[in-house]
Parts: sequence; structure tokens; C-alpha cells
Amino acid sequence: MSQMVQAKPGKRGGIGGFFSKLWSQKQLMLMSVPIAIYVFVFNYAPMWGWITAFMKYNPKNKNLFDNPWVGWDNFKWLFNRQEWLGVLRNTLAMSLINLVFGTLSAILLAVLLNEVITKAFKRTVQTVTYLPHFLSLVIVVSMAQNIFASDGAVNQLLMRLHIIKEPVFWLGEGKYFWWLVGAINVWKEVGWNSIIYISTMTSIDPSLYEAASIDGAGRFQKIMHVTLPGIKSTFVVLLIMNIGHLLEAGFEIQYLMGQNLVIDWSQTIDVFVMKYGISKMQYSVGVAAGMFKSVVSILLLFLANFIAKKLDEDTLI
Amino acid sequence: MTDTNLTYKKPRRRQDIAFPIVNAILLILLMFVTLYPVLNTVAISFNDGTDALRGGIGLWPRVWSFKSYESLLSDPATYQAAWISVSRTVITTILNLILTSMLAFTLSRKEYVLRHFLTTMMVLTMYVNAGLIPNYLLISKTLNLSKTYWVYIIPTMFSCFNMIVLRTYISGLPEALVESARIDGAGDFRIFWQIIFPLCKPVLATVALFVAVGSWNQWFDTHLYNAGKPYLHTLQYLLKMKLATTQASANAAKSTADAMTSTTQMTPITIRCAITVVSAVPILIVYPFLQRYFVTGMVLGSVKG
Amino acid sequence: MKKLLSVLLMLALVLALVPAAIAEEEPITVSVFVGNPREQPTPDNKIFKKIEDELGIKFEFEFLAGDLDETLAIKVAGEDYADLMDGGNSADTLINSGALINLMDYISEEKTPNIWTHIQPYLGRLLYDDGSLYIIPNFGRNYNAQIQNYCNGPAFWIQKQVLEWAGYPQVKTLNEYFDLIERFIAENPTNEDGNPYTGFEILCDDWRSFCLRNPVQHLVGRPNDGDVLVDINDNYRVEAFVIQPYAKPYYAKLNEEFHKGIINKDTFVQNYDQYIAKLSSGTVLGMFDQYWDFQSATDALVTAGMDKNTYIGLPLVYDPEYVDGKEIEEHYLNGAVINVNRGYGISVNCPYPERMVQMFETLLSDEWQTILEWGIEGEDYYVENGRFLRTDEQKKNSQSQPWKNANTAYALMDGLPKKQGTRDDGNAWEPGNQPELYFDLMSDYDKAFLAAYGYKVPADFFNPPIELAPYGEAWQIDYVNEPDVSIAETDFVTTQMKYLPEIIMCDPAELDGLWDEFVQAVEDIPISTFIDYMQEQVLKLVEKNSGN
Repeated sequence: MSQMVQAKPGKRGGIGGFFSKLWSQKQLMLMSVPIAIYVFVFNYAPMWGWITAFMKYNPKNKNLFDNPWVGWDNFKWLFNRQEWLGVLRNTLAMSLINLVFGTLSAILLAVLLNEVITKAFKRTVQTVTYLPHFLSLVIVVSMAQNIFASDGAVNQLLMRLHIIKEPVFWLGEGKYFWWLVGAINVWKEVGWNSIIYISTMTSIDPSLYEAASIDGAGRFQKIMHVTLPGIKSTFVVLLIMNIGHLLEAGFEIQYLMGQNLVIDWSQTIDVFVMKYGISKMQYSVGVAAGMFKSVVSILLLFLANFIAKKLDEDTLI
Repeated sequence: MTDTNLTYKKPRRRQDIAFPIVNAILLILLMFVTLYPVLNTVAISFNDGTDALRGGIGLWPRVWSFKSYESLLSDPATYQAAWISVSRTVITTILNLILTSMLAFTLSRKEYVLRHFLTTMMVLTMYVNAGLIPNYLLISKTLNLSKTYWVYIIPTMFSCFNMIVLRTYISGLPEALVESARIDGAGDFRIFWQIIFPLCKPVLATVALFVAVGSWNQWFDTHLYNAGKPYLHTLQYLLKMKLATTQASANAAKSTADAMTSTTQMTPITIRCAITVVSAVPILIVYPFLQRYFVTGMVLGSVKG
Repeated sequence: MKKLLSVLLMLALVLALVPAAIAEEEPITVSVFVGNPREQPTPDNKIFKKIEDELGIKFEFEFLAGDLDETLAIKVAGEDYADLMDGGNSADTLINSGALINLMDYISEEKTPNIWTHIQPYLGRLLYDDGSLYIIPNFGRNYNAQIQNYCNGPAFWIQKQVLEWAGYPQVKTLNEYFDLIERFIAENPTNEDGNPYTGFEILCDDWRSFCLRNPVQHLVGRPNDGDVLVDINDNYRVEAFVIQPYAKPYYAKLNEEFHKGIINKDTFVQNYDQYIAKLSSGTVLGMFDQYWDFQSATDALVTAGMDKNTYIGLPLVYDPEYVDGKEIEEHYLNGAVINVNRGYGISVNCPYPERMVQMFETLLSDEWQTILEWGIEGEDYYVENGRFLRTDEQKKNSQSQPWKNANTAYALMDGLPKKQGTRDDGNAWEPGNQPELYFDLMSDYDKAFLAAYGYKVPADFFNPPIELAPYGEAWQIDYVNEPDVSIAETDFVTTQMKYLPEIIMCDPAELDGLWDEFVQAVEDIPISTFIDYMQEQVLKLVEKNSGN
């Protein structure tokens, strides 16, 4: 902890102190500032595009300012569409379901795998469970549609177990849609998502387990007091990050599975924008929707980060 | 759980026997649920296309046919494209690992004055998107990267998500490592390259996997920037095009009035499955090498000593 | 001094040679954008080699892999146009963005006689108000007689075995059709393998949902105008037929069939692949669709030797009871319709527009059309008694994608102006329409089936094509540049696809209420935005075309 003096900027007094500190960190700067410039060029420079949210943009106008200004009209168009609130609700609901169950299932799988002693078995399970990540959603959704059809495997199983009397119309009733999407996402990504937790668990000091054993901790207690705390910071950081992504509920799966019969439950912001954006020459509406998403995301992100800080947890920023 | 504290020996033993069994059963069930659709995809890819239209194929092809693979692999363009894909994946992964971990290291240093500013700047890139057209104009017009190989490398050298993953991992490493190195007079770059970087192997393997898979599966950049240059086509782009062509020719009768009953033996269903297999196999081959690092893990304790 | 002289001499030589080379039509490479997915031709493709040898033109293709509208928007924004641009179904975006040049500057009766003959009869429909033309249509220009072997478009389809079982009756109306299906199912609830038959399928997947939206216009005796009905007897009045009182009986009938178990509710949520799988299994007795949309299922059935489970198209109309006792005459087949504004345009970036138009002109000659459509005589087809035919080997080749990549110009063909219909020597311009080739591939079952009706080709079930209305077919009317109209149209489709399945599945007692709700929802879009625009365009086209 000899660094403490350095770690508190300005303590040494005044501007001179700051610059001498900068100088002492010249290597750190050399390692980071060029990347920052790169990121600026590729991620921030194109942001001029956002001003087209306030225009009636048409790419055929070579001079950007030949496009007429329309103020907030594009945003108003979005927010005044009667389905907008439903779209927002669907987006939030599906990403929340995905966030909760996606994270829990990934952690659960990582923990279970961590308890496996046979290396070969551990590797096999790990390899097999991440395979579905590479199946295209077209294939996955098609299979899901077969499984959840009236005469599909799920209905047959439930009827054989006498849980239901007649087939449930899974795909045709809106109330099931969010959960179907959640189930498909969990199934497809659980193995993939667990990789990050598995790799984090490798950083847990084995002596902690030994110490716990000596203290008489059982298997569950070791999980509770060693394994889970060991992945806590990764969990918190990913959680904050994903809270920022709450408006990203995906596009393809809803697009593929959401027949118009269930459109009141299936349409997400991205699907909506695809339907009414570029394909309707409404370039600016697409940009406006993207901007809305970005702004809300950043607010959510800072809120989550702030709460984490208050709770004295790891933070993203 | 509370009673385990009192008589912990007995339940512990029961746990020790029961838990691994329950655990193994659970994991085997999960494997079954995940493996079935994958094997089903493989089976369909080896089935005759027209026959596959009828559905109902399980784990074994009903009418064997290698036509789908033949059509994918007999095209000489496939190999040129595979070469482009492999090389871009390797280069991107290496560059990305170095740059991303380097930045992650600097942003894990609590004393770094630009830390907060740079972290915020990087994190926000995950949430802001300028939209397709400005990005296209930047890369194609301002930077003039379209119709070049560089468009596969330069825009993809850094990823914020992976940087955060790495930073979180590095922050979890014992602070003493850096301290003692610094006392020995090592500069930040040497600390990063000689101490931190090697220690990050498990998470670097994870990040490498993420980057490689992302880069390998990319087709959109070819579509945007290099579609008119066949020798720069990537494998995924080519496969995507093959699938789209098969789909389109299934509907071709619409325009050409081609009524002749065609027994093409290749349909979008089988082609799609064959494409899935062809694009996943290289990753499956590389995977065990990476998996070694993050499944087995490293014994940090010994390093620390 | 000597050195200087030789340099000057060289310079003079070069200067003298350059114009000569240009006049000689030096070889050029032309970039081509195709708004459809296609595979790259092989570098030694025989037809492209021929074009290169004889016209000095080489092609560099870019095919569409992603979303068309998105791709075109990017090309417009960056002005990244290939020399030849085929914008597919969104070509209007290119025209409206000023990406294409006016071809009429290069087309005239003297300079380009082939093109002139090709477009002259349709100039009224093709030319913009200012007399400009940006695209020479790629399809729908018939020379001599239009060949109609079968119905490639919309119809009510029924398995041939059902008609066979009933003793080959003539099925003309909606009620007769469903009655027949009901009777067949009552007697044969399952097929030979014990799998239950489904009476009627309705494909509702994405844009293919026309299977649910379109039938009513045909039931009242009109050909395919897409989402609207144009009353040619009432000053071309345009209306959204699906909300008219005469549409209700169709959906009420479907409701009735649903409750009789002829329609299964899974049909409303299945995707295209599942639909094709179900058709291919041979257990679906009937559906409304367009032939090209389910052709792959037919292929699967034929391959499996299930010819009796393949389909025949029936041009059904309403029974008189649904339309105040009127007898309706069916008009499913329409006159050939020229594909306005679809095909290649020459972009403003193209350095040799004149040469490109000349290329279209050359390729439109009879010799080149034969090469492009049929291939090389002796290699890709043979001639016997003046008829163009193909050996089994040649037929097989023409179906193989790798072979096509190496031996046909299919990559270029889509957007190219081409001759259709019948050649002066009586052969079909396109191999796919050559009757001999069509009969050759017809199974014995099919031949016997048609013979039982006294027919020769499946198209005999239909009335001959009616004369094309002066506005063409209304689905061709483009509103790419009218966001309000295209939004209204999208909302129209969405509303139909949300309500119509519900109407079909609802308790019959609730049907009236639900129907009113549906009509109200469509009117609230407001649908008038769409209809008014279509009305305006139809009248404009009628006016333009009655001029010549």
C-alpha cells in the first residue's frame, strides 16, 4: 500500500503536483491514449449522424444540411404511435426475463461444473452445453415451433403427465410469448454465458476452499462462502452492464417467432424500427429511436452504477 | 443448513455422495437437451434436401446425401474465402487481445489520473450507436477502407465488453504483485507485459474465444464494403450467399416460369444445416486448446508465493 | 538531339494510337449490382467468355446478401453505384435518388431497333411524365403467343386424389370445394400411414400471409391486384376489398370450417418451413396459395412417388348465395404484365452509357437471346424437326447450381431485358415454357388425371387469361417514396393478420362483433391514406395508357 500517496490526486498540492503525476504515469498514458483516439474515431466521430434525428433525412441529399429540419417530429411520431407503449413494455419485459434467467442459469451451470471433479466429464459437459450458441436462430426458432406446436413434444408430455387436459396454444397466445423467448434464450446461451463465470472461478484461491474445509464447511457452504463471493465482482459488473442494455431485447428471435397474431406481445423496439424505419424511407425515425435507446440506456447505466457504489460493490465506471 | 454446524460430519458425507450424483444427473440431462438439436442439425445436413422438406428427421439421416456439402465444398471460391476468414480471425484476435488487455490494465490502476474519464468514454461506446449510414461513410469514404482487406482488421481491433471483463479480472489479482514489481523498478509497461498479461491466461482465453467467434461469424462487413471483390469474400459471407441463393431459387419459378420439376436434392433446410456445421467445425477444433485454460484454471496461490 | 526526336516520335505514335484504340471498342470491365442473392459465376464461365470475346465486355458482379432497402440506402448515401444497377423490388429508390441515367437519350428506332421493338408497345406505361425511361423491363414482354401450361399464380389448390376419389367432378365454387374436402375427410380421416389429414391450410408467415389476405378478390372474379380491388366497371374505383361486406362470407366460411375441424389452429403460427413440410408429407388436402410459393413441396411429393398427393389449382368463385344471387365468372389468369421499372438501370457513375445500351441491344437480338436462354446448340440443347429439346443429361445440367455457375449467364440474366412467349419458329423463348419439356416431366398419374377431365395441361382448369386492364396489376404500383402510404399499407397488413385469425377461430356468436371491430380498426389506420393514393395512381395509369 505504499502507493497511497500517489493514489490520491492533488494531495501533493496544486497544478504542479498534477503534472508531475501525469509525467510519472506516462507509460500508462502511452498504453491507453492511442486506443482512446481510436475509439473516438470509430465510435464517437460518426455521432454527427444523430442530428439527422431532427431532420427529414434522405441519403440522396449529399449536403447534410439540404435535409429539412423538423424539430422533434420524428420522436413525436414514435411516441404517438398507439403501439409504442406496448413495444416498450415488451422490450423491457423480455430483456428483464432474459437478464434474470440468463444470468441465474449461467451462474448455476458454472457452479455445478465447478463441483465436478472428473476433468473429462467437466470438459464434455462444458463443450456440449455451449454448442447451441452456434446454431442460427432460424434453426432454433424452427425447432422451438415444432416442440411447442399443438401436437408438439411439450404438449404431449404435459398431457401424459396429466398436467393439462388439452393442448395449450403456446405459439398463438400472447401471454406465453415472453416466456418462450426467455426459454429459448436460456437454452441457447446458458453454456456460452457460463464460460465467463467458469473462467472467473479459476482465479479463486484454492487455499480458501481448504480453509473453509478446515472450518468444517460443507459443500453448499463452500459454494455460498467461497465460490459465489469469488465471482461476485464479475457478476456485479455484468449486471450493471446488462441493466444498461435493458432496451436491447433482441430482434431476430421476435421477428422469426412473432406472428401478427401475438404482435401485441412480441414486437420490440428493434422489430418496430425495422418495420417502420429504412424500409419506409424513414431514416430519421430509425435514428431517433436509436438515440432514445442510447439516452435511456445511459441513464439506466449510471443509475445502476450509482446504486452499486452506494452499496459498496464493484462498479462498472 | 443450520444443523450441519452441530453434526456436520454425517450430513457432509451424505452430501458428498448424493451431491455428485444429483449433479451429474442434472448435467447429463442438460447435455441431452442441448445435444439433441445439435445432432439433429447434423443429421439434416447429411439428408437429401427434397426428402428433408417432409420434416421429422431425428438423430440419423433418413435418405443420405452429401449434396449439400458437395455444393459448399466443391466451389474453389470456398477455399479462398476460408483463407480470408482464418487470417482475419487470427490477426484480429491477436491485435484485439493485446490492445484490449493493455487498456484493461491501465484502467485497473486505481492511481491512474485518466482512469475515470477513459472508463466512462469506453463504456458509453457500448450504448451509443451512430447508425449504419454515418458508420459506413466513415469507413468507406473518410478512411477509404472499402474494397480492402484492412476493413476486416482496423475497425475491429478493440472491444469494450472484453476490456471490462479483463479489467474486472485484473482488479481481482493481488495488488502485491504490482507493488513488488514496482519496488523492483519495473515500469508500467513491463508490469503489464511480464506479470499481468501471463496471469490473465484463463480470461484471455475466454476473450480470445469471444473475439475469434465474433470475427469468424462476421459477414456484414464483407456485404457492406467488399461485396464487389470476390477475392476478398469471407467464408461466412459466401455461405450466407449460398443459403440466400438456394432460398431464392426455391422461389425462382416466380420469375422464370420454370415449371420443370426439379430434383435439386438441395433445399434451404439442408443447406442451412450444412452451413451451420461447416462454420462451427473450425471453432470446435480450436476450442479445446482454449478450454484448457479456463476449465482447468491456474493455481494462483503458487504464483503469489 | 536524336534522343529528343525519338521521344517526340514515340509521343506522336502514342497520341495517334489512343483514339484508334477507343474507336475499336477496347475491352472494358463493367461492375454490376444485382439486388438478389446469386452465386458468383466461375472465372471461365462459357457464356461470359463468349460475351467477352465478342463484345469485349467483362463483368464484375456484386450480389445482395443482406437487406435490400438497407443496402440501397447505403449505396445512395455513398454514391457507390456499380455501372449497372438492378435494384430488385426497390429499384424505385434508385430512380428517385437520381442514381440512374435517362435511357431515352440513347434509344431510338434507328440506333437500337431491338430495344425499340421491345418497349414500343408499352411506352405509355414505361415513360415518366417528362418522357424519361430509367429501366428497360426485365420480364413480361411477350412475343407472339403467351404460353400457359399451368397456373403459376394464385388459386385454391386441392390434392388430386380428392378429385379422383369423387370421380373427377368440376369444382367451381367455395362451397363445393369445402363440401368435397369435408366429405373426403369424413370417409378418409387418415392416410395410409395412419396420419390424420388436414382439410385446409392457411400460410400466415410474414409477407407470405397473402394466402389469408388475397382470396376474396378472386372469389368475386378479379385477377391479382394485391391488397386492393379495382372495379373496372365503375371508373376504376379502388377499394380495400377485405373490409367490404362481400369479404365477410369468406372468413365466416373459414370460421365454420375451423369449428368443423377442417382448419387447424396451428396453421396461424407455423412458419414457411413447417408449412412446406406439412404439404410435403401429403396430409394437407387443400390451401389457397400461389404455385411458386409451394413448388418445393410438389418436388418433394413427386420425388417420394406421391403423385396423387400433388395439387391441382382450382379457380373458385363465390356461390351465388353470398353475392345476392349473382353468377360470378372467374378471372384468375391475367394477361402478361410488363414488369415496369424492374431490371438494370445504368448508373450515373458508369463511364460508358452508350456502350451499355448497345450491349442491351445486342443481347436482345434473337441469336443472343437463344444463347442466354437455351445455351449453345449441341451442348445445352438439340434441335429435332425444328423443335428445341434437351437430353436427360442436359436437363439434369440445367438444374445443377455448380453447372449453372460455369455454363450459363444466369448471374446476369435476372435484370436483363429478355424475350418471352413464343419464337417465330414456334419454340418457346424460355426452356421452362417449352411444352415438350413440360410434358416429358409430367408423370403418368398426372397425364391420366388430366385425361379423365379431357384436359391436356393444368391450365385448362382455368379460363384463358383476360385482357390486361390498362393500369396493369395494382400490386405493381410503387409507394417507396411515400412513407405515409407505405406505413398505412404495413399497418393494413398487420391489422388483417392480427384480426383475421381471431375471426376464424372465434365463437360463431362473436363473429359479427369481431368483424365490425376489425373493419373499424382498418378504417382507423386510416386506410384512406393508402386507398386514395392507389386510386390516384390507377387513374393516372389508365389515362396514360388509353392514349396509345
